[in-house]
Amino acid sequence: MMKQIALYGKGGIGKSTTSANLSAALTDQGLDILQIGCDPKRDSTRMLMHGRLIPTVMDLLRERGDRNITIEDVVFSGYGGVRCVEAGGPEPGVGCAGRGIIATFQILEKLGALHADVVVYDVLGDVVCGGFAMPMREGYAREIYLVTSGELMSLYAANNICKAIARLSTRARSKCRLAGVICNAKNLPREEELVGEFARRINSRMIQFIPRDRIVQVAELNKRTVIEHAPESLQAEAYRSLAQRVMENQQTDIPIPMEIEDLESMAYEFIKE
Amino acid sequence: MSSSRSEGCTLTGALSVTTAVKDAVTIIHGPAGCAHHNFSLLHALEQENDYSRVPGIVCTNLREGEVIFGGEEALERLIRKTANKSPGSVFVLSTCVVDTIGDDLPAVCAQDYGVPVCYIPTSGFLGGVFHTGYENALQTLSEFSNKGEQTGGVTLIGEKNLEFEVDQNFQEVSRLLSLLGIEVQLRYVRNISSSRLADLGKGSLNILRDSSIQRLGEKFHSMFGTPFLDSFPAGFGGTIQFLLDVGEILGIDSSKAVFTEEHFQKKVISKFQDLKGSVVSFTGQSLYADDSPVMDEMIEIFDFSPDEKGMEFIVPDPIPVGTSGISRLLHRWRRSSHARA
Repeated sequence: MMKQIALYGKGGIGKSTTSANLSAALTDQGLDILQIGCDPKRDSTRMLMHGRLIPTVMDLLRERGDRNITIEDVVFSGYGGVRCVEAGGPEPGVGCAGRGIIATFQILEKLGALHADVVVYDVLGDVVCGGFAMPMREGYAREIYLVTSGELMSLYAANNICKAIARLSTRARSKCRLAGVICNAKNLPREEELVGEFARRINSRMIQFIPRDRIVQVAELNKRTVIEHAPESLQAEAYRSLAQRVMENQQTDIPIPMEIEDLESMAYEFIKE
Repeated sequence: MSSSRSEGCTLTGALSVTTAVKDAVTIIHGPAGCAHHNFSLLHALEQENDYSRVPGIVCTNLREGEVIFGGEEALERLIRKTANKSPGSVFVLSTCVVDTIGDDLPAVCAQDYGVPVCYIPTSGFLGGVFHTGYENALQTLSEFSNKGEQTGGVTLIGEKNLEFEVDQNFQEVSRLLSLLGIEVQLRYVRNISSSRLADLGKGSLNILRDSSIQRLGEKFHSMFGTPFLDSFPAGFGGTIQFLLDVGEILGIDSSKAVFTEEHFQKKVISKFQDLKGSVVSFTGQSLYADDSPVMDEMIEIFDFSPDEKGMEFIVPDPIPVGTSGISRLLHRWRRSSHARA
């Protein structure tokens, strides 16, 4: 059965790094993986593509209109055969990137491109409008993973995304649920405990703790995922563990967003000592 | 639902003004449908009033591509294409869609196109209602005015170009002013060329179509020092008051005009004596159909007895202007009473 997951979280928290390494670890298990970057910055799949910025669906739409686009034009094969797609979007500051995501999904749907053992949607930091909630809508991602560190701003963003998931999961035919929290650590004291507690408080659980390690930056400079660049590293092991748990995960929940005051006082409990 | 001016789209309101500039082209920056519906409505109304003129409207015809990537380039292209045909002026209106995606229309319109290009704040339904577009257009077009010497005469402000009796109402105001020896110098804005927009400040009196644009009367007063009357006259008493007010503002002795008009009104009243004492029920679009000072006046003069079961007398909104307007209204009531009998 096809697994469809989406990673959401604050901008710069490491969604793309986590997504790419997750996809790389999953392909190493012999699975067919499709990773779709849903961010006008278009850099979700860059490490899987060895540094190449692939043409985006929106680039093609702009150049050719939506009639002359084929699967081969938008799907690119990266590390281990991971199939990579970038939605792309307008130039910063013009038009409507959210509408671009909706158009991308319509095009991919029409092309019949949305098939794999696992589809990984890597979505722009904040669910700023309906367009960026598209991957959570019916027929697309069913398991949402929140990526966060122990920093308050990152937890705040994750909590905000819970509101979108909670709203969408109440819809009649919605199959979108929160599948867990991934802690992409900043190496703060008691960070794992804090993120674990946050996950419980929003009616979920922390599925993987990924420590902060220089090897991520080194791999990035080599335009590779950690899985490819340093497969023996502990960091690669953490990503493989994440991949394992994602595949085994059967538990999905409707999240209960925290009140901002509760979120702050909870974080304070862990930070004050 | 109603067709009230406090509802509807800003585009229709703005177009009711801009399409009355004969040599201008109005660009609707948005999807084709926004232009189509407005074009159809304006065209149908013009036909109804026996004008065969086709409204000067073009549209950027935005589609999904422009929504995603921004529509400013499409707008700039259409302005250039339009400007190449050397219209007297180009007015640009924005729709809900382009306002939602944040196209910067003032910036696009500020470029040099060789003809005057003017953005009128509209933003479709997001920007307000019909009246907002109408008022914004009247205000924005004042940017074309020249602070030249006053040449006297009256400027009419904000004639309702879409109302059925727009020209009859104009003729009535002209007739009343002629009793005082004054002429309408500028219809701002109806059937004028772009160059005439420069003359907005040159009259010695502004007469607003109605008090809903009071703010513009004040604005033009502060811009040009022109005094204003806040409405075309309605009802017999209102018409006499209008003559007195105009006379007072312009320092003209209005007693002769008043005498002439009162005589005319008496003739009208005597012509409709057959309606006297009717049991009537005032109905109409306006919520105030049976609660207007003009209807009170009619009740008093013709000794009407208002009753829900009475003869249905339709009260149009707005009430036709001046003594002649009331005369036409009485004609219609008589027709409907005959039809009933």
